[in-house]
Amino acid sequence: MSDKILYSLTGLFDTPDEIIAAAKKVQAEGYTKYDVNTPYPVHGMDSAMKLPMSRLPYVAMVVGLTGMFLALFFMWWTNSVDYPLVIGGKPYFALPAYVPIMFEVTVLSASIATVVTMIAIVFKFPNNSHPLLDTEYMKHVSVDKYGISISAEDPKFNYESVKSLLESLGAKNISPVYFKDEVINFKPNTFEPKFVLSLIGLFIVVSGLTYVTLNKLMYLPPFDWMMEQSKVIAQERSDVFEDGRGMRTPVEGTVARGFLPYKYKDNPDAAGKFLVNPLPATEENLQVGETKFDIYCSPCHGYLAEGDSRLKGQFPNPPSLHSAKVRNWSDGRIYHVITEGQNAMPSYAYQLSREERWAIILYIRALQRSLNAKESDLQ
Amino acid sequence: MSSIDYTQELPVVEGRPTLKEINELIARPLDQKPDKKFYIALSITVSMLLIGAIALGFTFYYGVGLWGNNNPVGWGFPIVNFVFWVGIGHAGTLISAILFLFRQRWRNGIARFAEGMTIFAVMTAGLFPLIHVGRPWLAGYLIPYPNQHSLWVDFNSPLLWDVFAVSTYFTVSFIFWYVGLIPDFASLRDRATSKVKKIIYSIFSLGWRHSNRHWTHYEMVYLVLAGFATPLVLSVHTIVSFDFAVSILPGWHATIFPPYFVAGAVFSGFAMVQNVLIFIRKIFNYEKIITLDTLERMNKIILLTGSMVGYAYAMEFFTAWYSGVQPEQFTFINRAFGPYAWAYWIMVSCNVLFPQLFWIRKIRRTIPVMFVIAVLVNVGMWFERFVITVTSLHRDFLPSSWAYFKPTIVDLAILLGSFGFFFTWILLFTKTLPVVSIAEIKAVNEGAQPSHGEH
Amino acid sequence: MSDSPDVFNYTKKELPSNFIKFGYAAFVVGLVLVVLSLFVDNVRSAFSGVMLLMFVASIGVGSLFWIVAEYLSGAVWSTPFRRVAEFLGAVLLVLPIIALPAYFNMHDIFHWTHEEVVKTDHYLSAKAPYLNVSFFTIRTIVFIAIWVLFYFLITRNSKLQDSTKDQNLTRKNIKLSAVFVPLFALSITFFAIDWLMSLEPHWFSTIFGVYYFSGTVLAALAAITYIVVTLSEKGYFFQGVKEDHYYSFGALLFGFVNFWAYIAFSQFLLIWYANLPEETIWYLQRWEGYWMYFSIGLIIIHFVVPYFGLLAQPSKMSPKRLKFMSLWILFAHFYDVMWITMPTYQEFGYIPGWIELGYAIFAIGLILVIFNWKAGKENLVPIGDPKLKRGINFRL
Repeated sequence: MSDKILYSLTGLFDTPDEIIAAAKKVQAEGYTKYDVNTPYPVHGMDSAMKLPMSRLPYVAMVVGLTGMFLALFFMWWTNSVDYPLVIGGKPYFALPAYVPIMFEVTVLSASIATVVTMIAIVFKFPNNSHPLLDTEYMKHVSVDKYGISISAEDPKFNYESVKSLLESLGAKNISPVYFKDEVINFKPNTFEPKFVLSLIGLFIVVSGLTYVTLNKLMYLPPFDWMMEQSKVIAQERSDVFEDGRGMRTPVEGTVARGFLPYKYKDNPDAAGKFLVNPLPATEENLQVGETKFDIYCSPCHGYLAEGDSRLKGQFPNPPSLHSAKVRNWSDGRIYHVITEGQNAMPSYAYQLSREERWAIILYIRALQRSLNAKESDLQ
Repeated sequence: MSSIDYTQELPVVEGRPTLKEINELIARPLDQKPDKKFYIALSITVSMLLIGAIALGFTFYYGVGLWGNNNPVGWGFPIVNFVFWVGIGHAGTLISAILFLFRQRWRNGIARFAEGMTIFAVMTAGLFPLIHVGRPWLAGYLIPYPNQHSLWVDFNSPLLWDVFAVSTYFTVSFIFWYVGLIPDFASLRDRATSKVKKIIYSIFSLGWRHSNRHWTHYEMVYLVLAGFATPLVLSVHTIVSFDFAVSILPGWHATIFPPYFVAGAVFSGFAMVQNVLIFIRKIFNYEKIITLDTLERMNKIILLTGSMVGYAYAMEFFTAWYSGVQPEQFTFINRAFGPYAWAYWIMVSCNVLFPQLFWIRKIRRTIPVMFVIAVLVNVGMWFERFVITVTSLHRDFLPSSWAYFKPTIVDLAILLGSFGFFFTWILLFTKTLPVVSIAEIKAVNEGAQPSHGEH
Repeated sequence: MSDSPDVFNYTKKELPSNFIKFGYAAFVVGLVLVVLSLFVDNVRSAFSGVMLLMFVASIGVGSLFWIVAEYLSGAVWSTPFRRVAEFLGAVLLVLPIIALPAYFNMHDIFHWTHEEVVKTDHYLSAKAPYLNVSFFTIRTIVFIAIWVLFYFLITRNSKLQDSTKDQNLTRKNIKLSAVFVPLFALSITFFAIDWLMSLEPHWFSTIFGVYYFSGTVLAALAAITYIVVTLSEKGYFFQGVKEDHYYSFGALLFGFVNFWAYIAFSQFLLIWYANLPEETIWYLQRWEGYWMYFSIGLIIIHFVVPYFGLLAQPSKMSPKRLKFMSLWILFAHFYDVMWITMPTYQEFGYIPGWIELGYAIFAIGLILVIFNWKAGKENLVPIGDPKLKRGINFRL
């Protein structure tokens, strides 16, 4: 411990003019590893010490522009590639609307990068073990004195000549500064038990809290993801009504939309007599009919309605629709069969809407006509 | 009438104190135990804060139905308060960044405090969007991250721009503030007598040693940060104004909104800074650092920005008439003479008429009068946001849905709580950190710079 | 401080002769072209007349604004150069004359002057109390009268100070400036509404006055900067104009380039986003045909180039860069005025021809001739101004 390692020789000045003159002189003498410590930035010191202009603005510019383009790319990718969604009638790639966020990201990334670069890379902070700290010298320059410190590492350093230089400049309190003992004797040890234990403890606490928050807390009211809501839910109990049911029975005679009751239940003749196909035989309707026929009718009746089932005898084959009987049936009579079913054929009222049934009938008529064409059809 | 000598610059710090005196003056409040008055003030603000917290608790448990918000006024107090507090925050950055770029050296006395106020005001403001969500623990969805719904946030929405703007603003203001504090922490570290304080200050000073090789980078970064903070502060309130102005609602959709909101924000922010500084300089004996000249300059800026706001009111009215669009015209007539005429005229008188008193030099330099005017300005600016939000909504395009918005007791309690929150932070700030920048004030003290710099 | 040794000695010098010659040449060539164009194509010429009026008004009233701003803010760095702004402000005196070509062809420029159209158009008839020829004329005269009046009062005090060195004159000017600011805000807003916004009488934008203001102060500042840098390189003003002065000009230019962009973008974004047909029409017109390239050009010319040209700190101090950028900004402002004016003249784009060029040359010549005339009569530096010495010794 007896051998202290010299860091630098320091001297103090009372006025800004003196320190500027001193810095100029020291610079002129050819010292390179010296520093000036002042309680606030003194104008003209940079040129006295011949310091180059700080290049940190370039960090700001490079990181800022990078941040800006990354933001633009990210917004483009999310809003026009990964999940394109029209919002407010704007195009998927709405550049003017991205400008605000691009700007904010630029500022944010550039500011953080510049300050972090300055503190961590340029200053190599935090550094609370620097030899100048905690000295009388530092206590003075922190308040109202202007100090200069010439490092022992300077190639031109010579204790006596530096001392006389400082004296000739009129410095006061010329004093040597040594490296601190604890810095010299410091041995880093990453696996110190205390440190490792505290890391483990931190891990347990963080993961435990995360688990409790995400799996327990978030399922308690009022955090419960809106699962409990005081509103009427279909098919559920409700205390609003006396009978305790959430849904109400419709009043008698209510007709659901699109579900007009069928008047000719079990009355095929009346159906054949009074029902008329409301659809005109347009190409559009015929196409609907063809599609639906192919889906619902053709498995048994066959694509051409000849009764050639594709079911290969697993089910009794239905009669051909080209028989004279069916050909002579009115549209309403066929409609009745589709609606009510007949013999082994079930009702198709649930699968086919009324319009679709009528469209199928149009298609059946077309099929019938194709097999039994009249002469007039050829003209 | 005292006359100014234009050949001389007004001193920023009066009475030529020594640097040591400045050091002691600013650092002393941090050493002294808080006195009784401090505890009284703190108990008042904390009770306000608690009232707000209770109201918030009810809100979170029972839902936002406790507020006055309803159809058609879906944006009530939370937005009004949000815009109000963000606006208060703007003065800080204006003082610390814009006036820095303009080399207005008188800013050095008030910059630190104003920056602190910015941070607290933005924190207060940031609460309201979270509150308005109703379930603030779900606000994480505002962050664009690849979530299990494989949905992204809508980058076209001004409300999302707000998320980015306010969080960026808070972060950058905080960095700016902290960078400014580093040398002061070092000064405090070197004069600390108790061991605990020394350790704390050492940690925060990061080992700063007032080196000129550091100062040169430091000053450059400060300039860069100021250069970023200046457009940032404009962008923040601009984006807040977009929340309203991108819609097609008459009274909200006006192209003048961005600069008009920014001017209004600076206006209210300066009024708030001026209000609090009047107390600070009295309590901590900072009369020589925060001089009457500084306050007068602030009053001039209040007058200027107040007149800008007045200009915007006038332009809105004129353009509504000039456009010939009927709903537009109706909205403005309704503002001035409809059911909310009382709010409108409070706004006009507090924001445009009373600040005109600052034309008179005597009033600009009389502390009680300027205090009252600045309080009125803040009242007026709160009502401005109220008028914009509520009057445009309460009578929309469909007369059958017109209604009259009334805040509930919970709304008022949350507003009170926000003031409590803000002032609690301010009070704690004054006792834990130097409210005036030590290094910056030293730099503008008379005789602090070399008498004849290099040519 | 008070015992500062360097007492400033000002000796009046003639302006450089090629500066004067160039001014006269541009003026004569421009005048010939302008007069010729009135006979060849008087409608196109009248539209160019609007551009001329708005551009010259920008320089004049913008310079007046900077004078006022210096008094109000107590700035010292610009005091040695204030006379440049005062000389440029003299173009306000000829505004009534250069308004004439546009004024006498109003019928071809402004749609709302057609009474039969106004009668059948609901919106135009609603605006008729404001947009009618007599009120329009009165307003234009009043605005120009206000500017000329304050220009006269402020510069008179400034001139008087050269001999009396009376500080009370500064005090008076500060008061005059304070009174002028609200008048300035209103007059420039309505001047812009009258001459530019009402070209499309159905269209409206609340921010329009601010938009024109942002271009105005930028253009005036660029003109001042150019003249200051050029003359001080030749040894005018005082010995050793410092980088600190240049930097102040450069930083202000940079700031106002951004301010213009901010205002322009705000107006565009809000109209684009809300997508209301009565508002988007204005931008759609400027996005049709060739106009699209003009609009993209505006962004590049008026924002991107000056932004990157002035971004770095050294470029704000370099005389060469400042001269180039200030000329560029003057061009950008002219381009901006053209971009606002000309789509009414010709939809789907047009190609600037010799008429516009003639008017541009005329504008340059006119400004220079008036500047030279004033500079020949008065001191180039306000030698009696109490802030002068502080301004000369200014450090950032």
